[in-house]
Amino acid sequence: MPTNPSMAAAIVGAAESNKIGYIEEGTTNNILFIEAIKNVCDQVGISPSEIQGIAAPNAANFLAEYLGIHPKWIDTTSVGGCSFQMQVHHAMAAINSGIIDIAVVAHGESGYSARKNQGKGRGAGRGPGDPWAPASMFEAPYGTSGAPSNYSHAMTRHMHRWGSTKEDFAQVAVTTRDWATLNPRAVMHSKDTHPNGGPISVQDVLDSRIISWPLNLLDCCLVTDHGGAVVVASAERARSFRTPPVWIAGAGENMSHTSMLEMGDFTATSARASGNAAYTMAGMGPSEMELAMIYDSFTVTAAITAEMLGLTPRGEGPSLWEGGKAGPGGAGIPVNTNGGGLSFSHSGMYGMMLLVEAYRQLSGTAEDGVHGIEGKQTSAKTAVVNGTGGSLSITGTLVLVADD
Amino acid sequence: MANYKKPIPDPDPYTTGPFWDGAKQGKLVLPRCGDCNRAHFYPRTICPHCHSMNIEWFEASGEGWIHTFAVQHRAMGAWAEEVPFVTAYIDLKEGDRMFTVLRGVDGNKPEDIKIGAPVKVEFEPATDEVHIPFWRVVG
Repeated sequence: MPTNPSMAAAIVGAAESNKIGYIEEGTTNNILFIEAIKNVCDQVGISPSEIQGIAAPNAANFLAEYLGIHPKWIDTTSVGGCSFQMQVHHAMAAINSGIIDIAVVAHGESGYSARKNQGKGRGAGRGPGDPWAPASMFEAPYGTSGAPSNYSHAMTRHMHRWGSTKEDFAQVAVTTRDWATLNPRAVMHSKDTHPNGGPISVQDVLDSRIISWPLNLLDCCLVTDHGGAVVVASAERARSFRTPPVWIAGAGENMSHTSMLEMGDFTATSARASGNAAYTMAGMGPSEMELAMIYDSFTVTAAITAEMLGLTPRGEGPSLWEGGKAGPGGAGIPVNTNGGGLSFSHSGMYGMMLLVEAYRQLSGTAEDGVHGIEGKQTSAKTAVVNGTGGSLSITGTLVLVADD
Repeated sequence: MANYKKPIPDPDPYTTGPFWDGAKQGKLVLPRCGDCNRAHFYPRTICPHCHSMNIEWFEASGEGWIHTFAVQHRAMGAWAEEVPFVTAYIDLKEGDRMFTVLRGVDGNKPEDIKIGAPVKVEFEPATDEVHIPFWRVVG
């Protein structure tokens, strides 16, 4: 049960970057951030590798990568000058709840140098739009465009290391189409809703045009318009609404990198760590999960995530879908019962769709809900829900359970 | 050189200068920690291994191996004229990785491209100041 976070945390050190003020020789956000973090760590007497949680507006993930650390609490809240007060607040809550016991809240902003440099040099690493982003300077010249052109490298490595094949991964796509045939709101519901609509075969996936080898078109998610929302309420009020509660039994987050340049193992993600955190909090394990809602930006994303969440052995992610096991009426755990990002809807970020479908399944409203569809309701009472962001970079995992 | 139409990095003058200065001379110059002696890439002001800020630069061998690759069949701008081309992550002989467009390979025959194949760096002048590293399969 939640407890009062008052007095649950304290600020134990504070430091600045080496130089502040008008730095005439110029500087970048990143230099200022790193100096300040290094200095406060030295002051407190910890190594940056001991940082469990990191907060910085629009930059926490870039800073964590730059430091080579994998924090289990990441807060990029960016709402102006009060962001840092809010991040201290978030950190206190995270500490109170036992997720972390130490966090750094950081600031680095080269306002003077940026003005002198005609807007350049706000080098916090905000992605390809920033000419001085520390990693993108060494990626942007090489012609990749968009997520498929990055994720394909992971699939090549998986095939090399684990002996998987394009046929193995194609089964993920085939199964999402099977679920989509039960969902008239799915983009790929049928050949009437889209020329590539369900059902499809492994051969259809292999015959579709190559986007970024080894990813073919039908290995890739849709790009749709989509809106969604969920309501989260306290335990005290959770049973006072017209709709049934689905309990958040466990939660975890983690990251391995921001740029793929820093992805040590191309066949693994931080879903291992965020999933373990969620399972531990829930006191449950993968064998107790009866539904898996897994981010399927690409077939390879879902397959690797299945391994990380302990739903298959290492290197055997595609086996979760083998022979339609994860599909309607399949012998295994159902996966992405809405049709997934590959066949239902994916607007750029699929995370909300995962939550909405998990809620419907666990509340028993997959057929009688607002858009419930006959044949779609499973008997699942537990679900693991995992979102993957960036280039297989950052993951969040929830374990949800149905009300008794 | 004036005809270089692909994206050109805009190097910052504060933290990556030695890399680009080396590139202009056809040398792969990498950052290395003066304390733990490990190289890293992309260049940083702090060692991502031991968090020392004692960073020095050295001329690397310019040799490495293919860690993984993909064949790009869709691209933007001037790169679109070169599809299918092969992108790859390179394991550097001195440690850590770089990203590149691979040379000396045929994008229409991905089955002929081998993970682990040896590669060497070469530099293409994009402007007077910026020479971009590319890696070529040599084995």
